[in-house]
Amino acid sequence: MIDPVDTAPADSTLVRIRGLTTVLSGKTIFDALEMDIPRGKVTAIMGPSGTGKTTLLKHITGQMRADAGSIEVDGRRVADLSRQQLYKLREGIGYLFQNSALLTDFSVFENVAFPLRQHTKLPEVLIRNLVLLKLQAVGLRGAAGLMPSELSGGMARRVALARAIVFDPMLILYDEPFVGLDPVALNQVLKLIRTLNQTLGITSVLVAHELEAIKQVADHIFLIANGKVVAQGDPKTIANDGSPWTRQFFGGEADGPVPFQYPAGDYAQALGFAGAAK
Amino acid sequence: MSARMPPQRNVVTQSLAQIGACGLFLLTLLAAIPRSFRYLRETIRQLWFVGAMSLTIIMVCGLFVGMVLMLQLYHVLSIFGGTSASGMVVALSVYRELGPVVTALLFAGRAGTSITAEIGLMRATDQIDAMEMMAVDPIAYVATPRFLAGLIAMPLLCCVFCAMAIFGGHLVGVTWLGIDNGTFWANMTAVVDVHTDIVNGVLFKSLAFGAVVSLIAVFQGFTTPPTSEGVAYATTRTVVASSIAILALDFVLTAFLM
Repeated sequence: MIDPVDTAPADSTLVRIRGLTTVLSGKTIFDALEMDIPRGKVTAIMGPSGTGKTTLLKHITGQMRADAGSIEVDGRRVADLSRQQLYKLREGIGYLFQNSALLTDFSVFENVAFPLRQHTKLPEVLIRNLVLLKLQAVGLRGAAGLMPSELSGGMARRVALARAIVFDPMLILYDEPFVGLDPVALNQVLKLIRTLNQTLGITSVLVAHELEAIKQVADHIFLIANGKVVAQGDPKTIANDGSPWTRQFFGGEADGPVPFQYPAGDYAQALGFAGAAK
Repeated sequence: MSARMPPQRNVVTQSLAQIGACGLFLLTLLAAIPRSFRYLRETIRQLWFVGAMSLTIIMVCGLFVGMVLMLQLYHVLSIFGGTSASGMVVALSVYRELGPVVTALLFAGRAGTSITAEIGLMRATDQIDAMEMMAVDPIAYVATPRFLAGLIAMPLLCCVFCAMAIFGGHLVGVTWLGIDNGTFWANMTAVVDVHTDIVNGVLFKSLAFGAVVSLIAVFQGFTTPPTSEGVAYATTRTVVASSIAILALDFVLTAFLM
């Protein structure tokens, strides 16, 4: 276990996870998981469905508490933070939800302005300029007056991204950012992730399944399964890792360490052929 | 049965658990009131939504309740030759019972359900989680303004309901059935007591009902499973639980206030 006082904020590791153990409804999601997410890089977290990737993001942001282990973000142990300290930490974290999670009663402009209005007393002119700046960055300045219901999936994702970066966060967490996007929208989001990382130095953590997209954008990949990191490295080395997990996952094989069949009882018995099974 | 199935709880245990959880949620709401003062605009917006937007249904229902009450009383009291007392009885019935109770039931159906559905859908579409992630407390920003709006709106709506019911009673009694206008008002003002009937009857009861309905609506919204079926059930539960709570609380309050 690492003492938080030993960790200087200028550490090259922004998120440090040690011995993370989570049990939900009797099922072990994480089993002493260890992970270091480097500062200023794009890190992808991959793994079979239901392996707890979104849960991991929720642990990082303090939305969910783990049963054991520790998570440090920028040198601060998330579990030890008070509600106010946690909110302060979250002001430095952008979170892109899978379904964008735009506030449906507010326009695009008001959605992006929302965090500024809640946490600052900036004059209206400055808020307007900041919002337009962020919307310009995601290519949607012209859509400022639209309502969320008038946006396509890709546009909504980009508005949510503009909202997530409105405070110039140190860390952005992307939960399935490419799901449901057409190739054009996917490339736009991909380009934005890379640009934000390169121009602003924002550390990015992506939870996604799209291999080709991840290979283009990620500096480091973690493959998690059975509650542990089973492989990690840059996109090239991890693809050639050769372990059964990476072979199945990167080769897209239907059966392997991740079984095709959900665990079940005896098939013949379930069909009523108990005698035949003997 | 699979070993993974959650333990089955009977209806009584489930109801007690819900009441307990609702009580704890009330404490969270009350603790968040000071933090919600910075969202005054949101409270005013909700006041408009649950209060002003409910005016039409409250006014129309109040009018018809007063009219039908006067019609029934007139025919019953005419047997004993006491039709002149019908205005007074309409007023007492409306101030003491019908006003607060019917307004609260209508409020639960009109505003309570919409509060539950709105918060439930906000949960289902991750808007509540998004607020948490933007370091905005959803209890202070979403729950408390709606709770306070319900608390403020209910007594005002109840006053409007009572006024419309008296007007409806006057319309039928005086204009249609021919009760003397002076007798109608004189009997009413002679019997109606400001403390017993207006303060305890209209204001206190409707304030209590407003708190209960708003609490149930917000609680159901926040605790609903984030699915379309979950939101549908939560909306139904708001109406059922509010109706039972209103009528039960009415009995308790009447017993103490009489």
